[in-house]
Amino acid sequence: MKLFDPHIHMTSRTTDDYEAMAKAGIRAIIEPAFWLGQPRTKVGTFEDYFQALVGWERFRASQFGITHFCTIGLNPKEANNPNVAPGVLELMPHYLGKDGVVAVGEIGFDDQTPAEEKYFAAQLELANKFDLPVLVHTPHRDKKRGTERSLALVKEQRFPEERVVIDHNNEETLPLVLATGCWAGHSIYPNTKMDEPRMAALVKKYGTTRMIVNSAADWGVSDPLKVPKTAQAMKDVGVSDADIETIVWNNPIAFFGQTGRIAAADLGEAAKIDQAQLFEGNSVLRGQTPVRT
Amino acid sequence: MTSLLDALPSTARAWVLSVAPDDRIALLGAFSGAARNVGKDPCAVPERGTWGADELARAALLVRGAASVSPEELYDRGDNRERQAVLRALPLLEAPERFLPLAVEACRTNVLTIFEAIACENPYPQRHFPEPNWNQMVLKVAFNGLALARIVGLAARSNDELARMASDFAAERRAAGRPVPADLGSVMKGETT
Ligand SMILES: [Zn+2]
Repeated sequence: MKLFDPHIHMTSRTTDDYEAMAKAGIRAIIEPAFWLGQPRTKVGTFEDYFQALVGWERFRASQFGITHFCTIGLNPKEANNPNVAPGVLELMPHYLGKDGVVAVGEIGFDDQTPAEEKYFAAQLELANKFDLPVLVHTPHRDKKRGTERSLALVKEQRFPEERVVIDHNNEETLPLVLATGCWAGHSIYPNTKMDEPRMAALVKKYGTTRMIVNSAADWGVSDPLKVPKTAQAMKDVGVSDADIETIVWNNPIAFFGQTGRIAAADLGEAAKIDQAQLFEGNSVLRGQTPVRT
Repeated sequence: MTSLLDALPSTARAWVLSVAPDDRIALLGAFSGAARNVGKDPCAVPERGTWGADELARAALLVRGAASVSPEELYDRGDNRERQAVLRALPLLEAPERFLPLAVEACRTNVLTIFEAIACENPYPQRHFPEPNWNQMVLKVAFNGLALARIVGLAARSNDELARMASDFAAERRAAGRPVPADLGSVMKGETT
């Protein structure tokens, strides 16, 4: 079965991860722009990060047969830093029109401050202008309230709900999201947020409509194979193959591709692994025997 | 320029020509959005290898709009395919020697497709690279397992230092028990034909 991980921060991961992901059936991924574990102090470092998302990381993924898309945005944590936030917002239009940029994100709330709300709203406007969906991060603390406020802001701004995915849901927030037209993302983590059996139970209870699963793997304790592991967990409790495929492949493509930014041709682009031409030098294969498929 | 447009399918050509070359904002938008308008199908460009339709359209947009946008800014903010298009267009721009720092910097990339765009089927390095940069580029082509025949003007710019570097590279490979690229021989001998 082909798998799509629509939320994973590959700049923090190794080539071993890429190899394992490809082996487990992951064919496409989306890397949302987020914070890097420590706050940035300059707009320029954001630009270099955006560059990596549309450049080097895309190439790195392609060497393992994985198509790499990304989202561009000012994350809620750093929306609170007046030294970078306005500059990043000005930078975004230079990147939102690029190939492989499939949404604005991650935006949303973290501490739920006025600054976060301001940049959340401003980025919904940008998404409108560039005809893109949005990826909304929900806070770890005071999560239910943050989710309610996110849904309310989307409504207030009259941003089309079918173009919004609210991410990192749990048992308490999922019904709130499904009661709107927004999509519901679930980040499957080793210890927190959501795990595979709980996710499988949610699918049995709520079905597959507007349901999305991701690993959200990054520089913290996380697991880039959580999408395949969750697919297995769903199978174990009797979810049909067709329903599993809807969640781990069709839904992310339907959501992130709804404004035409994911072409079938893109999904095939990196499908043929031919590392032979990259066998040394500055490619990621520093002198190993190339893999051919 | 004419040859670039000729290599495009007619609908893609019409799209490129519909973008006003003096409208900076329109040019920047079209440059980024080219693939969504003309696709990425391979197109044969006479004596320049095979380019994606998007690369071809982007190169044509840059050449036509060179008074309004610079290759440096398009490269600096470009994704991989945008950067490839800029590098392929360099020899077609007026007074191309102005862009030597950009071309030399591009050779330092880790993205192989970007390196190929400047080093392979591109007459720019032969015409403008100083010898040390030329030699590094040729060695990097060999190092990455690309065919040396893809370099424009390889024989014409052979030199003793490059021959020495190629021989050392071959010796390093032999010492490691690893294969020496078959096409390295002519460079090692410094052959000019
Ligand atoms: Zn994230």
